[in-house]
Amino acid sequence: MLEVRDLVTAYGTIEALKGVTLSAKQGEITCILGPNGAGKTTLMYSIACILKPVSGSVKVNDTEITGTSAPHALRCGIALVPENRLVFHSMSVEENLMAGAYTRLSSDRAGVQADIDNAYARFPSLKDRRAQIAGTLSGGEQQMLAVARAMMSRPKILMMDEPSLGLAPLIVAEIFSIIRQLNDEGVSIVLVEQNAHKALQIANRFYLLDQGRVTFSGTPGEIGEDDFIQRAYLGSKVA
Amino acid sequence: MVDFIQTTIDGLSIGSAYSLIALGFTLVFGVMRRINLSYGPSIMLGAFAGTWIFVTLDAQPWLVAAVTVAGTVAVGVYVERVCFWAIRRDAAIASMVSSFVIWMQLEEVATILLPGRTYPFPELFRTGGVEIGPYFFRMEYVTTLTVAILVLVMLRLLLFKTRFGLALRAVSENPAAAAYMGIRPGRVIFRAFVLASLIGGIAGYLLLAADQQVTPYFGLWATFKGLIAMMLGGMGSIPGAVVGGLILGVIESQTQWYLGNAYKDLSSYLVLFMVLVLRPGGLLGQGIAEREAQAFRRI
Repeated sequence: MLEVRDLVTAYGTIEALKGVTLSAKQGEITCILGPNGAGKTTLMYSIACILKPVSGSVKVNDTEITGTSAPHALRCGIALVPENRLVFHSMSVEENLMAGAYTRLSSDRAGVQADIDNAYARFPSLKDRRAQIAGTLSGGEQQMLAVARAMMSRPKILMMDEPSLGLAPLIVAEIFSIIRQLNDEGVSIVLVEQNAHKALQIANRFYLLDQGRVTFSGTPGEIGEDDFIQRAYLGSKVA
Repeated sequence: MVDFIQTTIDGLSIGSAYSLIALGFTLVFGVMRRINLSYGPSIMLGAFAGTWIFVTLDAQPWLVAAVTVAGTVAVGVYVERVCFWAIRRDAAIASMVSSFVIWMQLEEVATILLPGRTYPFPELFRTGGVEIGPYFFRMEYVTTLTVAILVLVMLRLLLFKTRFGLALRAVSENPAAAAYMGIRPGRVIFRAFVLASLIGGIAGYLLLAADQQVTPYFGLWATFKGLIAMMLGGMGSIPGAVVGGLILGVIESQTQWYLGNAYKDLSSYLVLFMVLVLRPGGLLGQGIAEREAQAFRRI
C-alpha cells in the first residue's frame, strides 16, 4: 500500500530523516513512535509531498509519488491530520469540510455534499455546529473536525500526527475509537503518537524512529519482549 | 445641518473609493502578511497608460477605463513576481523594501511615458449631477459610490461563495494548513494580487475621473490613502477596509469644509494616531491583532 524506501529529508544541511524505510499495509494501523525530534512529523510531511525529500522514494500502490505536489499526493489517496489540528479558526465547520475537499470541489459538487452529510453522520456534534466558527469549538471538537476535514478527500491512507495532543483522557479515548472505526471501514491509518501505550493498543505494526532512523519495527506483541525499547520509549516500569 | 449632511454625502462617495484601495492592500496583506508599497504606484502607472491613449489617440472614456484597469493588473503582476514571488516567504522586510524600490522605478517609467507633470483624465459622464431636495449629488460621486458597492458585493460573493474564495481565506488564515488541503498558496497569492490590482485599477479610474487630471504623485497619494484607511479599519480585515475608507473620506471632507484644505490631511493623521493608540488592531481588526499577539506570546 504505502512503501517508503531510504527516505532522506533535510532542512538546509541538517538531515532530519537519514534513510527511513517502512511500509504500511492495506487496512492496517501503522504506528510511528519516537522521542521529540526523531523526525516523525518530517516523515509525515515527506510522505504527503509537503516537504521535498533529498533522496529515497515513496510509493502508493506501486505508484511513485516522491517529489510531486501535495495536491497530487491527496489525489493518490494520502490525507494528513496535522499536529495541533490546524482547523481554519475563522471559517465555519462546514467551510472547513469544504476546504478538505478542495481538490475535487469544482468537479464533484454532489459527491462533496454527500461526504459532508457522511461526516455529520459520523460526528453528530459537528452537525449541530455546522454554521459555527471553528475557532469557538472545544479542543476535542476541533480534533474531530480535523479528522472529518481530512476524510473529505476520500483518502485510502489517513496519516495522523499526534491526534491526542493536549486533549482530556475521555476525548482521547473517543479519538482512538474513531481511528479504529475508520480503520474497520477500510481506511489504512498511519499514526504518530507520543501516547505510546494507547497507540500500541490499536496498532497492527509499529516503527520506532530515533534521530532520523528506524531503530526497531515489529508488532505490538513483540515490544514487551524487548526491555530496552520499553525503557527508552515507553517509560521505565520502575520509577 | 444641510452643509454637514452634504459634506458627509461627498465624504462617503470619495471614501468608497478609498475603501476599494484599502481593500487591495488588505487582500494582499491578509493573504501573505506583507505590505505592498508599490500598490498605489501600480495604479498610477495603469492610469498613465490610460491617459496616454487618451492624449495620443483621443480614446473614448470607457476605453481609458479599460486600459487603466488592465494596465494596473499588468503592473500588479510584475510587482508580485519581482517583490513577492521571488522573495522567500519569511523575508517580509525584503519584500517591503523591494516594493519601495519598484515604486521609484514605476514613477520613472510614468515620467518617461508622459514627461509633463499633469495630464487630463476623461470623466465617464458629462452631465453635472442630481438634485434631491437641498442636496446635490455630483454625477461622478454617484458613479463612484455605485461602482464601489457593486465591487463590494461581487467581492463578498467571490470570497464566500466560490472555490477561489475558500482557498484565499484558507491561505490568509494558515498557509500551511491550506497546503495540506491541496491548495497551492503560491497560486492563490498570485490571484489575490491580480484581484487587488483589478480593484485598485477600478478605484484609481474613479478617483481620477472625478479629479479629471493625473500626476505622477497619484501613486504616493493612493498608497497613503489606502494604508491609512486599512490601518484605521484594521489590517487584514475586509469590513475594516470598507469602514476605514468611509471614515477617512468623511473626516477629510468635513475638515476641508469647516477648517479649510490645509487641515484635511492633518486631521486624518490625528484620527489614525488616536485609533492606533486606543485600539492598536484598528477599529475592526482587533481579532486579528489579538490572534497575532497570542501567537507571539506562544513563541
